[in-house]
Amino acid sequence: MSDIFSFNGAEGTGWSQPSPISEDSISTVPMSLRRANLPRWPRASEPELVRHYTWLSKRNFGIDTGFYPLGSCTMKHNPRVNERIVQLPGIDRVHPLQPEHQIQGLLSIFFEMQEMLEVCSGMDQVTLQPVAGAQGEFAAMRCIQEYHKDNGQSHRDKVIVPDSAHGTNPASAAMCGYEIIEIPSSPNGFLDLDALRGAVGDDTAAMMITNPSTLGVFEPEISEAADIVHSAGGQMYYDGANFNAILGKTNPGLMGFDAVHYNLHKTFSQPHGGGGPGSGPIGVRGHLSDYVPSPVADREEIEGGGVTGDGYRYFWRTPQKTIGKVQQWHGNAGAVVRAWAFYRRYGRELELMSEHAVLNANYLRHRILNPESDVRKKIPAMPVDGATVDFVKHEFTLSMSPLKDAVGVSGKDVAKRLLDYGYMSPTLYFPMIVPECLMIEPTETESIETMDKFAEDFLTILSEDPSVVTTAPHTTDVRRVDEVQAARNLVLRHPCEK
Amino acid sequence: MDQLPNLGREHEMLSAMGLSAIEDLFSDIPEKIRTKGPLPLRPPQSEEEIWADAQRLLGANIDLDSRPSFLSAGLARNFVPTMVGMLATRGEFLTSYTPYQPEVSQGMLQAMWEFQTMISELVGLPVSNVSMYDSSTAAAEAITCAVRVKGRKATQKGVVYVSEFVPPHKMSVIENYTQGSGIELRPLKHGTDGRIDLEAAQEVAGSCAVYVEQPNAFGVMDEGIIRLKEIIGEHTALIVCVDAVSLGIIEAPGKYGADIVVGEGQPFGIGPTAGGPIYGLFACGKDYLRQMPGRIVGQTVDEDGLDAFTLTLSTREQHIRRHRATSNICSNETLIALMGAMHMAMLGPEGLERLALRVAAATELTKSAMASIHGVEIVESNNPNFREFVVELPGDARSAVDYMDRNGVLGGFPLGDWWESMSDRLLIGCDERTSNSDIEALSKVLSAWVEEVCK
Repeated sequence: MSDIFSFNGAEGTGWSQPSPISEDSISTVPMSLRRANLPRWPRASEPELVRHYTWLSKRNFGIDTGFYPLGSCTMKHNPRVNERIVQLPGIDRVHPLQPEHQIQGLLSIFFEMQEMLEVCSGMDQVTLQPVAGAQGEFAAMRCIQEYHKDNGQSHRDKVIVPDSAHGTNPASAAMCGYEIIEIPSSPNGFLDLDALRGAVGDDTAAMMITNPSTLGVFEPEISEAADIVHSAGGQMYYDGANFNAILGKTNPGLMGFDAVHYNLHKTFSQPHGGGGPGSGPIGVRGHLSDYVPSPVADREEIEGGGVTGDGYRYFWRTPQKTIGKVQQWHGNAGAVVRAWAFYRRYGRELELMSEHAVLNANYLRHRILNPESDVRKKIPAMPVDGATVDFVKHEFTLSMSPLKDAVGVSGKDVAKRLLDYGYMSPTLYFPMIVPECLMIEPTETESIETMDKFAEDFLTILSEDPSVVTTAPHTTDVRRVDEVQAARNLVLRHPCEK
Repeated sequence: MDQLPNLGREHEMLSAMGLSAIEDLFSDIPEKIRTKGPLPLRPPQSEEEIWADAQRLLGANIDLDSRPSFLSAGLARNFVPTMVGMLATRGEFLTSYTPYQPEVSQGMLQAMWEFQTMISELVGLPVSNVSMYDSSTAAAEAITCAVRVKGRKATQKGVVYVSEFVPPHKMSVIENYTQGSGIELRPLKHGTDGRIDLEAAQEVAGSCAVYVEQPNAFGVMDEGIIRLKEIIGEHTALIVCVDAVSLGIIEAPGKYGADIVVGEGQPFGIGPTAGGPIYGLFACGKDYLRQMPGRIVGQTVDEDGLDAFTLTLSTREQHIRRHRATSNICSNETLIALMGAMHMAMLGPEGLERLALRVAAATELTKSAMASIHGVEIVESNNPNFREFVVELPGDARSAVDYMDRNGVLGGFPLGDWWESMSDRLLIGCDERTSNSDIEALSKVLSAWVEEVCK
């Protein structure tokens, strides 16, 4: 195994830099503050490092490598022009505190994105500041908290989440100081309105929910749920993780939500980069508009076209009762610009994106579960649907329980075996309400051929010798990794000893 | 539309499912909540048109490299090695998700483990995570983490002292993140010389934590900070926020008793990017490990006993522990941390030292040039500075900045925007790219402004 700390060039090996612009600049640093020993970083040349990181990249699986059906994560293709755009000095070499007249282009892109997200979600005010979905949740819950306070409702200290919710929902609400009430889903995976009625009360601050649900199923009674929460005096929060399913078909505003976050790294293709950056703007209805994190982009008409030539001067505006900041600058501007470029490709046809995302998910689900297929009859234990509906939205869940019961092959085993076939694993064991769950989201950017082949390979795995599947993967860079040992015997850094 | 492989083949797919229209798949959405009519948005564009608009709009921005610039205020106008952008945007890195499947993610996992090691070495603490969103959320979550660890034994329950010179935009993040856990933030006083008042610091003992910045927001390197740990004692956590580059010449905080070190990673790996994506550093001592936020990579073995890497200690995290998690953080800034790791590896130990010396030299030279302008005074000129320093002007600093702007120089940041009482003060930021001609340009234009106000 190659390891960066084994590069051991002579002292001073590394990137060449100009000399300091004056001699003896260290003399102003008090002796007591001076560093005794330099960090034991590698001493390597550019050719060695280029090869090291190229080698590492080859040991990593991305959307570019192959099909990435990771449910809930919307791993769609990332258009390359977006990467080229963010290399422009007008974004890469810009400081967030530059005077407004120097960054009119950036402000106009922010404004356009705010407006677009408002239109798509039925909200009245968007702020682009939160840098991840979880931070968006947190920011929006803080707005709701301050709104309640201003209305003499600060005794509202409970937030309701369904048991199928993303883990970030309860974690974000808890960070605001809220107590979490978890309500069970109905047996078929839908929101249980009776359970909701039993949970709301004078202490309800809000309900957090995603729609389509984490089962990939649209909650038909969402308006009724909103009515129940609103009549108890609570607010409705929409987790936008599954927004890719509904753009142009319905929106959170129509469903009765008061606040929403968007995952620009899902719906609008900001590349996920092995765990981020993300971007999690939030949108709110009018009564919450004054609370959103500051600043937001705004504009006014001016004579002469303005710097951007559209007749406007753009500026930063501080919402009147703002909760302040959740990131110290203006959020992940680079991610916003990428998402802007992605949006521009679709424009008013964003609906097409959601149509194809849903079409693909249903097609793949049909290919795997089609009850009339011959192949199905030859397999002793087929997965069963996590959702008992005829069609889903952008993703679907499969329970591997029958397979586990029949031949001892678990969801995790199937997931690991898929790696051998050159696929990323689906999301595993989430939502927890589906036993042995695999959650599959093809997104709109996969072809019929890719999905046909995936379905075929998936079904092949189900009829493989269980001993092959339970010991998978066999062909990856490393075999099944011992996670228990990793946690028990923590080795969190290289010893850096020669 | 070049993004949809199945465009025009919808019928083929629908008939395989026994359906006739895509609309059938949306029939479960009740009519009363259906969107009416097409989205009122602009028409779609081709890649060529998008590129042209991006060039036009972003080209309308003035970038820091196009003129002498002394605007820093927490971010660095750096130069990132070309290799970094080229390798980090390899599709295998760029388009991967969080490495939940270690068998096919060894590349990113190893790169992050190496990142953790380099940060650990840099700050002098054994544990680092793979990034926070930025230095402000790293600071805020360091405080909540410290309270979870030190809260029980603290005699000042839930109390955390924060340097009174933390800028308001950062303080606002800290307040938002801490208000829900019942933490009481109290200001840690600084003396008139701008340094931490070590007498006043006595009262910190018994609280959960103290948060300081080295150098502080005014670029002051404070010798007193190295004595802080002995004053506050072992039951109070010392959290130090650093300028990562400065650690090429300044002692690692872990060596003088810091329990948690946070900072802006941005100088390593990525340009200022209008404030994001950047990444926050978070490193701590072993006592804090199980209460820390964020992803952590550990080394282990695979089934055959081969060395392997995996995410570990995930029982702290939201997807397992839900509302009892140590943080809600899920997506972080891994790709930017990868760029940081590449940049740090390129520098090497001596390269880091040289980079720090370049910044220090530019700061000193600019400072003495400003000192020689009649009417401009360096605030507490005896303090050693790194990257930034403050000057007192004979008038409103905002008007000075505007004047310099009209004359093609980004002259710094008017501190009145942060603290009203400092409206005559200008924060001047320098970096490794500050040249003699930049300094001359600044001197010239600031002198001209002074002459005009003092007329």
